[in-house]
Amino acid sequence: MTLVVARDLWREYSQGGVAALAGVSVDIAQGEFVALLGRSGSGKSTLLNLLGGLDRPTRGSITVQGRDLATMSARELSLYRRSTVGFIFQSFNLVPTLPAWENVALPLVFQGIPREQRKRAALEMLDRVGLGARGHHRPSQMSGGEQQRVAIARALANRPQLLLCDEPTGNLDSNTSAQIMALIDDAHKAGAALVMVTHDPELARIHASRTIRMADGRIAEPVEVA
Amino acid sequence: MNLRGMIWLALEGLLRKKGRNFLTTSGVFIGVFALTLIVSLGQGLSHAVTSTVSGTDNLRQVGLTGGFGIELSNDPAEIEIPGEMDEARRERLRRAAVNRRQIRQVAGRRANAIDDKTIAELSKLPHIESIQPVIVERYEMKLNGHDSPATLSYGVDVGRKRYADRVIAGSYFSGPGAPEAIVHEYLLYKWGMLTDGDYTKVIGQTVKLKTIQTELTPEQQAPPMLQEFMRDLSEEERKAMQTLLPKLLKQFGQSSQRRAAEREFTVVGVLREQMPGDPFNVIEDGNAVQADLFLPLETARELFLASAVNVELGYPRALVTVTDAEFAPEVEQTLRDKGYTAFSVASALKQIESVLLMITVSISFLTGIALIVSTLGIVNTMITSVIERTREIGIFKAVGATNAQVMTVFLCESAMIGLVGGLLGLALAALAMIPGDLLAVQLINEKAAIPFDQPVFVLPLWLMIAGPALGTGTAIVAAILPARRAARIDPVKALRHD
Repeated sequence: MTLVVARDLWREYSQGGVAALAGVSVDIAQGEFVALLGRSGSGKSTLLNLLGGLDRPTRGSITVQGRDLATMSARELSLYRRSTVGFIFQSFNLVPTLPAWENVALPLVFQGIPREQRKRAALEMLDRVGLGARGHHRPSQMSGGEQQRVAIARALANRPQLLLCDEPTGNLDSNTSAQIMALIDDAHKAGAALVMVTHDPELARIHASRTIRMADGRIAEPVEVA
Repeated sequence: MNLRGMIWLALEGLLRKKGRNFLTTSGVFIGVFALTLIVSLGQGLSHAVTSTVSGTDNLRQVGLTGGFGIELSNDPAEIEIPGEMDEARRERLRRAAVNRRQIRQVAGRRANAIDDKTIAELSKLPHIESIQPVIVERYEMKLNGHDSPATLSYGVDVGRKRYADRVIAGSYFSGPGAPEAIVHEYLLYKWGMLTDGDYTKVIGQTVKLKTIQTELTPEQQAPPMLQEFMRDLSEEERKAMQTLLPKLLKQFGQSSQRRAAEREFTVVGVLREQMPGDPFNVIEDGNAVQADLFLPLETARELFLASAVNVELGYPRALVTVTDAEFAPEVEQTLRDKGYTAFSVASALKQIESVLLMITVSISFLTGIALIVSTLGIVNTMITSVIERTREIGIFKAVGATNAQVMTVFLCESAMIGLVGGLLGLALAALAMIPGDLLAVQLINEKAAIPFDQPVFVLPLWLMIAGPALGTGTAIVAAILPARRAARIDPVKALRHD
C-alpha cells in the first residue's frame, strides 16, 4: 500500500530564484524505509520538510492517505503533522528548559491530552528508548546520544505512520550512532514508514530498504524498489 | 481541556524569565492599584453622601417656596424686541430686558403665594402624599418672669417621632392642635438654668406668645391692588402717592389689620439639641435648627394665621412629601413649572453624585495612562519573548501545534502577567485603604463640624472583579500582535534558528 504519492514537486524560493526542488516525484509505501542520499544543498531536507507538512511545494502534489498536502490550510497541515508525522532532527530540537518527559509529552499537549496521561505515556516512551530513569533530567544534563533518544521518544509519542529523520546521527559518534539507528530500526519494524536524510551511503545501505539519490533538486538515478 | 496545556506552557515560559516578567507585571500592578483606589474613593464618597441624607424621609421630601411666576422668562430667545433695528442692538436690548426682569423679580412680590387654597390644589398633583405648611416665626415670649423679645418657634408635625425622641423632661405633645409648647434646653440655659434638673421647673407653666409688631412702610401696608397700581406710576406721581398713602390708609382703617395676636400655652416638655446620629430630614428639620420653642403644627398654624398680614402673604414655605423617593425630582420639576421655587435632596444628591462620577471618571482616565504605558511594556516583553523562543515555536509546530495554539500560548502568557499585576494591584489597594480611611476620617473631622466616621474608600465586589479583569484584558490586547507574529513563524526557518 502506498502511503505517500509525490508528483512533480517544485520548491522555489523567491520569484525566478534557485529551485531547491525541481520536479521530484516519489512514492513511499507503508512500512518502507527510504534513505535520501545526497550532498548538502541537493534538496533532500527540502523534500523531507514537504513530506512532513512543515513546508508547502510551489508546484506539484503530495498525496498522503488520499489528501493533497499542497492544498491544505495551515491548520490542516498542523493536524496532519500532529496525527501522522514524527520528526527526528540532527540537532535534536529539544526545549532546553523542559525536563525529558515534558519534551516527549509535547505533541500530546497540543492534542489536548491531560497532564497525568501525558506523563504516563511519556515515561513509557522514555523507558522504551532506555531512558526510563532520566525522565526528570533536562536536555543540558544529558549526552548527545541521550538527547537524540529523547527526541526519538517524542517523535514516536503520537504513534506516527511516517517518521522523518534529518541526519539523525549527524552530531553523534559512531558508537552512539549505532544505538540510535537501532532505535530507529525498531520504530520501523513497529510499522512506521521511514524517510531518512543522510549523506552517509553506508548508513543508507545497511538500514534502508530503498535509497534515493538526489542532486540539484532532482532525483539523480531511477528509483529502485527493494 | 485543550486550554490547560497551553496555560501550562505559558506559565513555564513566564517562570523562565521571572525578573523581566515581574517588572512587566509592575506596570499593570501600578495601573490597577491606582485605578482601584480612585474608583473606591469615588464610590466611598458617593456612598457617604447618600447614607448621610438617605435616612428617614429625606429623599421623599421637596421643599416648596413661593415663586415669582413663570410669566417672567429669563430666556432671551422668548423676549420680543420689535422695530427695525440692527441685530446687535436688538441683542443688547434683549439682554437689557432680561437684566431688568431679574432685578424686578428680586424686588417684587411673590407671584405664587402658598396658602391653604394653593396647598389644596397642589395636593391633587400625582405622587404627592402630603403638603404641609412650614411655620417658623418669631414671637415675643414670656415664661415665668423670663422675657425673650424674639424667640424663634417651629411648628412640629406631631406625628413625627423624631421630636418625641428628643424630649428629655416632661412629655411630648398630646395632639396636633393642643395648646401646648415644648422649650429647647438652650433657651433654658440662657435663662440661667445651669444645674441639671432645673428645667423640670418649667414643666406645666404657662408661656405667653405675642406677634412681633413690625414697622412696615405705608406702601407695604397698602392692599395688593393698590401696590400694583403704584408700580406703574411715574416718579413724580409715586412721590405724591407716598405722601397721600398714610392718610388714605387711616381713612379706610387698613392699619387696624396689623393688630398683634396673643396666645397662651402650657409648657409640657423640654427638647434636647439635635445630635449627630439623630434622624434628620434636611428640608424639614433644617427649618428648626435655631428654634427655641416648639408648638404642635396646627397650633402654630392657628397662631400664624391670626396675623392678618400672614393670611394675605401666605406661608413662606411648605413641605411636600412624595409617595416614593423616585418621584421627588419629577414633583420638584412640576412645582417649578408652576412657578414655585422647589428644592429636593434627591435631586441635589443626583447632582453631587454626577459630579463625583465625573471626577472619578476623569481621574480614572489619567490613571489609565499608567495602564497604557504598561501595555507598551507588555508588547515589548512579548516581542522579546517571541524572538527568544523562535526555535521553540518551530518545535511546537513540528509536533503539531496549530497557529491558534501557538497564539494561545503567548496570549495566556500575557494574560497571566496582567492577572498577577491586577491581583497585586487590587490587594495592595485594599491594604492601602485601611490607613487611607483613617487618615481621611481624621482630616475630615479636623475640618468639618459634623463628626464623620464613614469609610471614604468603598471596594464593591464588581470593582474587585473589574480591576484584575481590566489588567488581564489590557495585557491580552497588548499581546495580540506579538502572539500573531509567533503564530506566523515559518517552522522550517524557526527550526534552523539559533
